[in-house]
Amino acid sequence: MTQYVVRRLIQAVGMMMLLSIVFFGLVNLAPGGPLAGYGRARRIPAAQIPRIRAQLGLDKPILVQYVVWLLGNDWMQVDADGDGVADGQGTRRGILRGDLGYSFRTRKPVLEEIWSRLPNTLYLMSATLFVALALAIPIGVISALRQYSKFDITVTTLAFAGQSLPDFWLGLILIIVFYVWLPNPFTGGPLLPSGGIYTIGAPFSISDRLAHLAMPVAAGALGWLAWYSRFLRSSMLDVIHQDYLRTARAKGLPEYLVVFRHGLRNALIPLVTLLALDLPYLVSGAVFIEMIFAWPGMGLLYYQAALQRDYPILMAMLVVGAGFIIASNLLADLVYALLDPRIHYS
Amino acid sequence: MSKDSVKVLAISAVLLVAVLGCQPVGPAATATKTAGESQPPQGAAPKSLVIVIPEDPPSFNAVVADSGYDALAMHLTMLGLAAIDPAGEVYPVLAADLPTVDNGGVVIHEDEGTMDVTWRMRTDVTWADGTPVTADDVLFTYEAIADPETGAWIPGIDLVTGVDKIDDHSFVVHFSSVYPSHLTLFGGRQVVIWPKHYCDPEQGFLNWDCAREPLSNGPFILKEWMTGDHLTFERNPGYFVPGKPQVESIVIKIVPDATVRETMLRQGDADILMWATEQVASNLKDDGSVRVSVSPTGRWVMRLFINLAAKGSTDPVADPNPLFSDVRVRQAIRGAIDVDMIAESVWYGYANPVWTEFFRPPYDTCKMERPAFDPEGAKALLDEAGWIIGVDGIRECKGCGTAADGTKFQFELLTYSEYGEPLILTQQLIAEMLKNVGIQADLSQVQGTVMWADSASQGLEQNGNFEIDLYDDGYAGNDPTDFIWQYYYSESAQPDYGWNFGRWFYPGFDDLIDSAYTLDETERTAAFCEMAKILDAELPQILLFSTINADAYGSRVGGVEANVNSVVSWNAADWTLAK
Repeated sequence: MTQYVVRRLIQAVGMMMLLSIVFFGLVNLAPGGPLAGYGRARRIPAAQIPRIRAQLGLDKPILVQYVVWLLGNDWMQVDADGDGVADGQGTRRGILRGDLGYSFRTRKPVLEEIWSRLPNTLYLMSATLFVALALAIPIGVISALRQYSKFDITVTTLAFAGQSLPDFWLGLILIIVFYVWLPNPFTGGPLLPSGGIYTIGAPFSISDRLAHLAMPVAAGALGWLAWYSRFLRSSMLDVIHQDYLRTARAKGLPEYLVVFRHGLRNALIPLVTLLALDLPYLVSGAVFIEMIFAWPGMGLLYYQAALQRDYPILMAMLVVGAGFIIASNLLADLVYALLDPRIHYS
Repeated sequence: MSKDSVKVLAISAVLLVAVLGCQPVGPAATATKTAGESQPPQGAAPKSLVIVIPEDPPSFNAVVADSGYDALAMHLTMLGLAAIDPAGEVYPVLAADLPTVDNGGVVIHEDEGTMDVTWRMRTDVTWADGTPVTADDVLFTYEAIADPETGAWIPGIDLVTGVDKIDDHSFVVHFSSVYPSHLTLFGGRQVVIWPKHYCDPEQGFLNWDCAREPLSNGPFILKEWMTGDHLTFERNPGYFVPGKPQVESIVIKIVPDATVRETMLRQGDADILMWATEQVASNLKDDGSVRVSVSPTGRWVMRLFINLAAKGSTDPVADPNPLFSDVRVRQAIRGAIDVDMIAESVWYGYANPVWTEFFRPPYDTCKMERPAFDPEGAKALLDEAGWIIGVDGIRECKGCGTAADGTKFQFELLTYSEYGEPLILTQQLIAEMLKNVGIQADLSQVQGTVMWADSASQGLEQNGNFEIDLYDDGYAGNDPTDFIWQYYYSESAQPDYGWNFGRWFYPGFDDLIDSAYTLDETERTAAFCEMAKILDAELPQILLFSTINADAYGSRVGGVEANVNSVVSWNAADWTLAK
């Protein structure tokens, strides 16, 4: 197993290098550029363009730009004013030494930009995933146990609806209902806040945090809830027709033990694998949910960086995202082997 | 409990920890506090005036990215030497008075063609830490901007040959030539004075930390900035105007979705909605609890940018555009477009027809006759130019002289996608109107970052890879001279040199623009009127209408006035907030 993990890790490093080259090429070769993305003030006089390109490091051939991004430029001379003459040592250390560069737009370190958003996204997405799972597991189990019952048919219909509803539309509907229409019976204000993480200027309170979480979690969880409950239903249906369940019943075990100890535990194995594969969502965020509910997360940061051609932020987020996908794939394989003794890696 | 159950439970526990463990990380970890400031305000929410905008200000230095939101935050906290009011008048801020030729503040050396401007500063303005604002700060700001390596370009800076301090509160700016916008060089919408003792010159003007954690000399002090969520400001008790500002605290809330911003304003959770669109203004006009301040004239003029060189070329002489080289064709396109109909049906009646660059005060004095919507006249002009209706209803060249006979009058009408629905509908309506006179416009949209990029980044306009572009543009501030230079000067037709990407050359027009660089207002106005006549006859661009410049605000706020020459926070010190 250890040998397998080591091999996968080595493969992951190679894959990350390859991906970084592809990402860097795609991001930089896409038509358009950051100089046009400076808001509506795309009015940079010609004489300034070489200097700004030099300040942003865009004056070098793409291969050199990649090397600088990867290894930094503190070991080479750079031309800071764009006059074609090198005039000092570079200051970048490169991503391999933990320097993700500076945002073209805000001139802040990329790490700072990402770090200011990542906890918010983790907070929202893990709460969303938790709620989705907490509801999906019982719904999936009951649906499977009462296959084709009214409950099953209703849940199936709602699940399809839940998967089909666009989250930005659902988000706006929730805002109309819970922010505009329904008043809070105690304060007379809206029942739920329209967005944000907490009430600005108000002291910390759990109820305030939960009130701000309610709508984005509801809008985000519905799709996952539908997906996981359908998956678990199907997985549970596979399991309950297995011989070992029949054996369990035959030896006189109570039904709840048959279902939960022998049925659900086995039905959960593929779900856990699926869950591991979904872990990258915890860091990538959900663009539309974040946009509608003014949630300062990673999805929104990526969206804005893409629009404004903020290459350093785009690259960092793509690489971090790819890293999480590779890691979660590895995790899924390992968890699967841990949970199912029939699986062995060599 | 079996081994497998333990594992399942362990994974569930990890998820739970993720849920609960993240909770305290959110705002606390991301809040940025201003150096030396106290804790964020507790329980200050009810007294705060809330402004909603869609994205973070990139920084407090509007020169860096000029998104408008940076100017909003900048004008809450920082001051320039002079600013521009909604009527286009310049007024002193850090300056004690405005230098003029009459008061001896401006001296023009006719022989050398140079100009010296002597400023006297107020002596009662201090930074938030108590340090006085002096001429040293102005010199520091100038040197930071003019630094060849780490500086930035601002209009007029390349004409400044130096700034000399006279005493702590006066200094002289030397110009290599007469520069009419000299009053707003270190002020206006985009530029403020930076504190010498607080900003680190080694970091450079575009990158320094003091643009993210500013030291105020303006009406408000930044207290907290939670990226992507909000910025909190508190009243600056040391602000130099007695009794102001009147509002205790301001919160800029980042709300990316336009519908949610509007809803928050209606619900009273927001007090000012910056840059209300035509649709928002229309939606809010019957809402008794909300008002909309609309500038008498807009800044952004929707227009058709015509490529006079063939697509893909930047040389209109060697490769003239086969469709648009003939001025009669351009006149026909203008006559075929019903601007009033577009303004009414797409822009909710808030768009104002514009047919000359000189439509904003104080240079709106050239009385140019408005061109008529005249599709029959347009058809006659096209016939006359040799573009005859073909069997499919689309015109073809039959002796047009600019294209091979049989060439169809078909081109790509391009616009940028970020603007959204009103621009797309305008594009569709224009195509319909052109079809009525036998011109086929194929519609396309690209991102602004592709359309406006520099030539090395494959920018469509700079490389001449377009036929007609449709979008809005207009000049900031109150002086159109630099804007006109960038769009119509022959030199600015070179790729990346300016915005004359239509590659329009007209004999004598450069001299006319040069003659506008004078302080003689009569001479300037005459030059502008002469330019207006030529542009009207030649139509290198077809101007259609100006879009709205408006800010919406709730009924508990007083003193809000939209300013087309700046941003809504230009007079934040005068705002009031009812309890």
